[in-house]
Amino acid sequence: MKHKPYLPYLLALPGLAILLAVLYPFLTGVYWSFTSYRLTRGAPDFNGGKNFLNLFSTGEGWHAIAITVVYAVSVVLIELIIGILLALALNHGRYGSFFRILIVLPLLMPPVIAALMWKVMLTENGVVNWIIESLGGEGSLWFNGPDSALYTVMMVDVWLYTPFVVLLMQAALKSVPTELREASAVDGASNLRHFFTVTLPLIVPVLVVVVAFRGIDSLKMFDVIYTTTKGGPVDATTNLHVLAYLEGIRNMNFGAAMAALVVLWAICYLMSFVLLKARRKEISA
Amino acid sequence: MTTVSSRTPTDSPRPTTVSSRTITMPYVGRSSRRSRRTLGHTLVVAGLVLWSLFTLAPIAWILLMSFKTPDQIVANPPVFFFSPTFENYLQVFSGPEFLTPFVNSLIVTFGSLFVTLLIGLPTAYALARFRFRGRENIAFGILSIRFAPELLIILPLYLIFQNTGLSDSYLGLILAYQLVTLPMLVWMLRSFIEDLPGELEEAVAVDGGTRWTAFRHVLFRLIAPGLAASLMLSFVWAWNNYTLPLVLSGRNTQTVTTGLQQYIGYQSIEWGPMAAATMISIIPGVLFAIFSLRWIVGGLTAGTVKG
Repeated sequence: MKHKPYLPYLLALPGLAILLAVLYPFLTGVYWSFTSYRLTRGAPDFNGGKNFLNLFSTGEGWHAIAITVVYAVSVVLIELIIGILLALALNHGRYGSFFRILIVLPLLMPPVIAALMWKVMLTENGVVNWIIESLGGEGSLWFNGPDSALYTVMMVDVWLYTPFVVLLMQAALKSVPTELREASAVDGASNLRHFFTVTLPLIVPVLVVVVAFRGIDSLKMFDVIYTTTKGGPVDATTNLHVLAYLEGIRNMNFGAAMAALVVLWAICYLMSFVLLKARRKEISA
Repeated sequence: MTTVSSRTPTDSPRPTTVSSRTITMPYVGRSSRRSRRTLGHTLVVAGLVLWSLFTLAPIAWILLMSFKTPDQIVANPPVFFFSPTFENYLQVFSGPEFLTPFVNSLIVTFGSLFVTLLIGLPTAYALARFRFRGRENIAFGILSIRFAPELLIILPLYLIFQNTGLSDSYLGLILAYQLVTLPMLVWMLRSFIEDLPGELEEAVAVDGGTRWTAFRHVLFRLIAPGLAASLMLSFVWAWNNYTLPLVLSGRNTQTVTTGLQQYIGYQSIEWGPMAAATMISIIPGVLFAIFSLRWIVGGLTAGTVKG
């Protein structure tokens, strides 16, 4: 079908405009990361890479980077394993469609609200501690414990986002032809062996999409952490995104905040780039 | 909703039809293998039940809480059975503390969807139907908005909004919400349109129709379910968003997600009204689920699970 050469650009113009409109604050932010800009005090003044130097030379900066990476890796791993197991169970069991509705429910919750719900249940005198104690166990400080806070936030993340993995994995597993299972059965392969040698390689493309989405969203996790612990106790749950918010909004130190965000962005971008490339290769292969 | 494998635990030898495929299970007659299978099946169901309990417990607890009096809420040991009060819901609906953010959320969310549709639909069509210079760069650029940390763009935006008078305004929030709603709509719609054969439009052209008539009368109807799903997903993401209103909204434009925080005071937390408000805030998401879960999975995995 013939068309005027400018037609595609004309149609894509609004999208392009938004892209440029986003580019402006983005570049402003990147510029600020090289300045000692404070909202309360005049124009941004260039200070070289001092903010980045600070980030990488202080314990605070490395701590936030470590928390960011540990959080993302643990959460994605746990969600993938539980998500795949649940997807297999749903496809296998007789009550799949019934359980599916129950399991998917958290995905529809505003994460902030889910975080608040958990916070209510996990106070010192909350219902969970009561159950644990009446079973003879010892209650935990959960969000308020310097050691337990990070695990507790991770648990909320797992509660919230495992359904996402389940949904996509279920769709992927359905696309694996069932005849293949018969073939392996004839060859005498066990269920486990069949899963790792036949099923898993076939669902890798979807797996990549899941890891990309979950990986990036958990690297830049902000709302659940900020609403439950505000990064604390002390800095036990302060990842880069939370650190940036505290620096920017609380200390009004926009230069330092932007440096943390640029580092976080670089990590996210690198990951999405690698994964999208892997996906393209996987599809064309 | 969907056809789920209906393999019975007793493994009947007759073929079981699942959607269009036919599985013939090898006949397993010996009782030892049969009991192992039953055991496996029980474990699977037990796992599903356990996870569902984990999923439902907080929701159920907050639901109970929303019907409790302040005394029942702080009671130790916790109260599981009580005569419900509707006081919390009455309080939530009688004052502006919840209703104003709720209305604000509706305005901002629907406004964002409208703008997203206006911008996203032609962009997605162009990206799907034409080959042109820079196409992949534009597509990747738009998607990468979704992958950038929100604050990286919002903090500078905060200052820009203050200088342009957009701060604490619906228009400002609606524009900023494009960060959340636009990338997914374009990404999903593009794959929906790509899935439709180009011959559809050519057929219309043969009959003397223009590209616009082809879009309006043929393509639009075919992508309507996908479009609805993309819009629903955008709706939920906009509705659920917290970071954007946290930084960009002021006194007049609090949304549900930031508004709920006000029940948490420095001195005490108003648990009851907070629980009731929480329950009401969940409703839009659940409504969305009823409509479109299936389509969304299709959209996200488009191009990756084609057998």
